[in-house]
Amino acid sequence: MGVIEEVFSIDLPVGEQFRIQRCRYTPQSGETKKRISIVSGIHGDELEGQYVCFLLGEWLRSNPEKIKATIDIYPAINSLGIDSITRSVPFYDVDLNRIFPGSKNDFLPAQIADGVVSAMSGSEIAIDIHSSNVFLREIPQVRIAKSQADTLVPLANKLNIDFVWVHDAVTVLESTFAHAMNTLGTKTLVVEMGVGMRLSKAYGHQLLDGILNLMACEGFLDIAPLEVRMPIQSEVGEVAYLNASCPGLFVPAIEHCQMIQKGEIVGEIVDPLSGQTLDEVIAPIGGILFTLRAYPIVYEGSLVGRIFGENG
Amino acid sequence: MKRIEILNFKSPNRAPLKVEGFIFGEESAGTSIAFIGSMSGDHINQLYVASGLVDYLRQKEEEGKITGKILVIPAINTYALNMGETFWPLDKTDINMMFPGYAQGETTQRIAAKLFESLQGYDYGVILEGRRDQGMCLPYVKLIQSGYEDIDSARDLGMRFIHFRPYSPIETVMLQYNWQLWGTKACSVVFGKNGTIDRVSSSEVHGALVRLMSKRGILDISAFEGYASNIIEPDDITVLKAQCAGIFDSLVGCGVAVQKGEVLGRITDALSGEKLENITAPIDGVVTCQYANPLIFQNSIAFRIASAISKR
Repeated sequence: MGVIEEVFSIDLPVGEQFRIQRCRYTPQSGETKKRISIVSGIHGDELEGQYVCFLLGEWLRSNPEKIKATIDIYPAINSLGIDSITRSVPFYDVDLNRIFPGSKNDFLPAQIADGVVSAMSGSEIAIDIHSSNVFLREIPQVRIAKSQADTLVPLANKLNIDFVWVHDAVTVLESTFAHAMNTLGTKTLVVEMGVGMRLSKAYGHQLLDGILNLMACEGFLDIAPLEVRMPIQSEVGEVAYLNASCPGLFVPAIEHCQMIQKGEIVGEIVDPLSGQTLDEVIAPIGGILFTLRAYPIVYEGSLVGRIFGENG
Repeated sequence: MKRIEILNFKSPNRAPLKVEGFIFGEESAGTSIAFIGSMSGDHINQLYVASGLVDYLRQKEEEGKITGKILVIPAINTYALNMGETFWPLDKTDINMMFPGYAQGETTQRIAAKLFESLQGYDYGVILEGRRDQGMCLPYVKLIQSGYEDIDSARDLGMRFIHFRPYSPIETVMLQYNWQLWGTKACSVVFGKNGTIDRVSSSEVHGALVRLMSKRGILDISAFEGYASNIIEPDDITVLKAQCAGIFDSLVGCGVAVQKGEVLGRITDALSGEKLENITAPIDGVVTCQYANPLIFQNSIAFRIASAISKR
């Protein structure tokens, strides 16, 4: 049975506390300093990680004898946001994942970030589970900055995900939880999957298998490694972005996560007022449609999909 | 005066987003300056100062006093202003986190790109900024150390304080940083409380903008001297945090000189009315910022006091 602990608490103005809780599982016997943190809910509108946390907790409760190290589960970092369908930190309207590592001497969101880092520092590995936002649906993937690729790609390959996306370093991403933790020496993987405000059960179970496999391989669980899928590696191909050319209602022509040929129609942008079809979104390359718009209203520039195509 | 359209962006159902600029002295070969007003929907004070500046410059143009080229863009995110939102109403992204913009990217990246394109080539640039927290402040100049900053022109504003500091990662996607990198001597003037109009601060900022244009030969008028600006570095700021949450009652205004031991504010329990805390000044100095909401969170920053610590 895990122990529920409060790792951060701040009084709210009227008879309530903002709090971050974790459930800690430890070996039945012996002491360990080895620790892994499973994190979700930095964005309050991303709920896929909550389900993974539940599934993992359920598994650990059923298999306490398999636990070889400390396993911390943090389902709800932005707890105010999760309980109010709010992506950012309510009241402040600040994206928590843009103010890490935070500070004790700054406003509330920065103090929350500081509290999160303090609670998790010392973990050997952290897995930060995000959904996409409410606009896009994503296949299970891990995103890694190029500078971290050597360390993190081998770990990501154990997570039973579909895609590992290694991207160029972007300075603004230095304000993320993952960057802060990687800088402190905690190998931190960012998982993106599903869509905001919804659950994708199958993805949850897929990632659970991956987390169990990673924990088996890295010595956190006394179980045999699971058979997991080898993710597609972004470095063997290219990502094409599909942005809306005009405003309207985006109506997809194919399902998410399908293979698509160059020149095929991904969807149409239509005008409900005039009844006209304004544009067809055409696949610029062949490959897998790993991102597809879930929220149909688009402006010019709105992302409607991404295709990954292998070179050659 | 010439009223120009900086960008016209269609919406699925709303009337198009029109961003307008006002140009004065277009034919002048003299020094040029651009002013940016409200980029967020809650930066009402910034809109007020910018539109007031347009009216002022129209009069000065009729009097033949304009000797340089001036662009004023009072409002960027009119969609947010018109519906009480802070950020881009659909995806809640902050236009001032999208610079230098990307013409092929997402909606707010495209808006930023188009805006940034219109701002190229100006000698000086001033961004009227609101706060990014729940505070209010004495008007001050924010000048980040991009390596291309120009402190002399910032001094010509004649404001009491210039906050001169290194940039944080998220500021690399903000306008001031990018404008500086592209060769404009850009700074921000931060003032007021979001969502409100403070006429005293607005008047002070208006005076500072006119002073800068006068000193830089853009306006042929005599302006009163302002302050010999104090350069404030991060170490000069003392942060006073609320130990308790509750109802916050400030006893001082921004800009007030306070003495060590002076009571600056009180916090009472929001339900029982019990007096929980007096917030006292730990140092002599000037209150530059204070919390501006009647309900305060535990550990929130209640006051910031500037003292000449780094000068000692």
